[in-house]
Amino acid sequence: MASVTFKNVCKKFGEFVAVNDFNLDIRDKEFLVLLGPSGCGKTTTMRMVAGLEEATFGDIYINEDRVNGVLPKYRDVAMVFQSYALYPHLTVEDNIGYPLKIRKVPPAECKRRIAEVARRVELDSMLSRLPKELSGGQRQRVALARAIVRTPRVFLMDEPLSNLDAKLRTQMRAELKHLQHELQVTTIYVTHDQIEAMTLAHRVAVMNKGVIEQLGTPREIYNDPRTLFVAGFIGSPPMNLIPGEVRDGVFVCGGLRVGGIGRATLSGAVLGVRPEDVHPTDAGDADVNLVAPIYSAELTGENTLVSLRLGGQLMTLRADKNFTGQIDQQIGVKVAADRVFLFNGETKDRVDF
Amino acid sequence: MTLPKTIHARSRTTEVLIRLLAYLTIVVALVVTLFPIYWIATNSFKYDIDIFAVPPEWLPRNPTLKHYSEAFIQRPFLRYALNSFLVAVGTTIISVTFGTMAGYALARFSYPWQWRKQISFWILSTRMMPPIVSIIPLYLFFNYFDMLNTKSALIVAYTAFNLPFATWMMKSYFQDLPVELEEAAIVDGDTRWGAFLHVALPLARPGLAATAIFCLIISWNEFLLSLIITLTEQSQTLPIGIAGRVTQYNTYWGEISAAGFMACVPIVIFAFIVQKHLVRGLSLGAIKG
Repeated sequence: MASVTFKNVCKKFGEFVAVNDFNLDIRDKEFLVLLGPSGCGKTTTMRMVAGLEEATFGDIYINEDRVNGVLPKYRDVAMVFQSYALYPHLTVEDNIGYPLKIRKVPPAECKRRIAEVARRVELDSMLSRLPKELSGGQRQRVALARAIVRTPRVFLMDEPLSNLDAKLRTQMRAELKHLQHELQVTTIYVTHDQIEAMTLAHRVAVMNKGVIEQLGTPREIYNDPRTLFVAGFIGSPPMNLIPGEVRDGVFVCGGLRVGGIGRATLSGAVLGVRPEDVHPTDAGDADVNLVAPIYSAELTGENTLVSLRLGGQLMTLRADKNFTGQIDQQIGVKVAADRVFLFNGETKDRVDF
Repeated sequence: MTLPKTIHARSRTTEVLIRLLAYLTIVVALVVTLFPIYWIATNSFKYDIDIFAVPPEWLPRNPTLKHYSEAFIQRPFLRYALNSFLVAVGTTIISVTFGTMAGYALARFSYPWQWRKQISFWILSTRMMPPIVSIIPLYLFFNYFDMLNTKSALIVAYTAFNLPFATWMMKSYFQDLPVELEEAAIVDGDTRWGAFLHVALPLARPGLAATAIFCLIISWNEFLLSLIITLTEQSQTLPIGIAGRVTQYNTYWGEISAAGFMACVPIVIFAFIVQKHLVRGLSLGAIKG
């Protein structure tokens, strides 16, 4: 069992800085998700733990051992690749057994552990097949089995679910979570899918442009975003981010007025409010924050996503599934004043009030 | 509103015409490549007088094995064939071994600045001059090391000419292999060398087969260097032996045909053996679902 620590880690490719002054302490048995858009440096960070990339500056520790420059085979980590990277010329059994064979585990012991792991991921009837004879989900399981067959100190998973179809992804997500809980192995998981991050992680590190924007539990990240980037990245549909200004404690943008902002003035402000914290009412109600025509209304099944035109952009709200408003119909909107966030448009940081 | 006519719909006649044209092209290509082989094969079984018969004798009317006994029993064509075999196999083994390792290094390792490109280009550039240019230096070189008229001299010379191509061919095969497979092996606990040996090499089998055929054919057929470097039947190869039957007084077409036809056989057999490895797509299934 192991902890992983990054101290001022920096990774450059030529002039391009992929990871910049990265500090992170991943606890023993923790499921940590690195979340961010493509190109934010999350995969590079993981590859540095695996030993596939070397940090340009800074130190990486697994437990107390500084692993900079240590060959991957001595780091005792296992990795699941986005492409699965199954050895196409080997059978499922040989694929799973590869890490054991390399470590010269006796054949009988190999056989026993392969059988045990295969049973766990429900591949025991397919051990003699080649990867090309398997479905996407089965390949995924082989990759997983290959990682868990030798109980490494750290699991590294690089978008392992992104090649699966939506249904299978949901199922494998649950299995992954259960497996990690059962095996109690420190796991670093890279994804750009915020649902995966929210559902799987003990803690999420939201990354952008090579730095951590925010580190916290999924609940903290969702309920208490510290920067504009995190606010816009987490949530589906994403948080409404409305540029405007604060005058006498009231946020103003076009027809939208939200009071109760504890600041006198702030120009270049951005108001953030999640779709579920915006509620539709009658246009004639007294204390509405906005009256606007409906741009579109989409029934998702469990609720209706309603978009309103506000200045040059759209504002989305999550209404009841029985919402019956039609396009172009004027409706009123109430914003839950205690659930709004204010950001400084220039520094992109949150402004507390 | 009228629906637009599909632009891809072809009439049945056009369809048939296109098919006909395709077959015609294949037939022309086959005739061009196979006719010479057919012609030496039939000539090798004819008496000298029938070889020049007008109108041509398409199939030997009085077949004979005379030329085969002349070539392989009375004259040392078996010896030439053995020389050719040793030289070609030696060259192929050395070229493929080193070409594979060099190709892997060029495909996978990182180089500062643009060195990968420069080194690759430099390797290939050694083949840009015509081989005749290097004949005199090579002759002097082998003379200095007392290697003239030896098979090892031929192997060294042929390897020098084959290695750049072997390196380039293997480099492109390795570049086509997904790098994650080797990375997976490395994280699974293998060394770089182990990942090369256990993962990259088995997957590059089609490349190895193609490169081996290439090297084998080139060295089996080579004429110019062999003509200069070798002097006696102790080291002369088949092409030289065959050309030797064009003499001052006579050209022995029958013997030339018999030896030439037999010279094709080993290459054809080898190509048959390795062709199943040539099939691409072994790495299918490694990536994605």
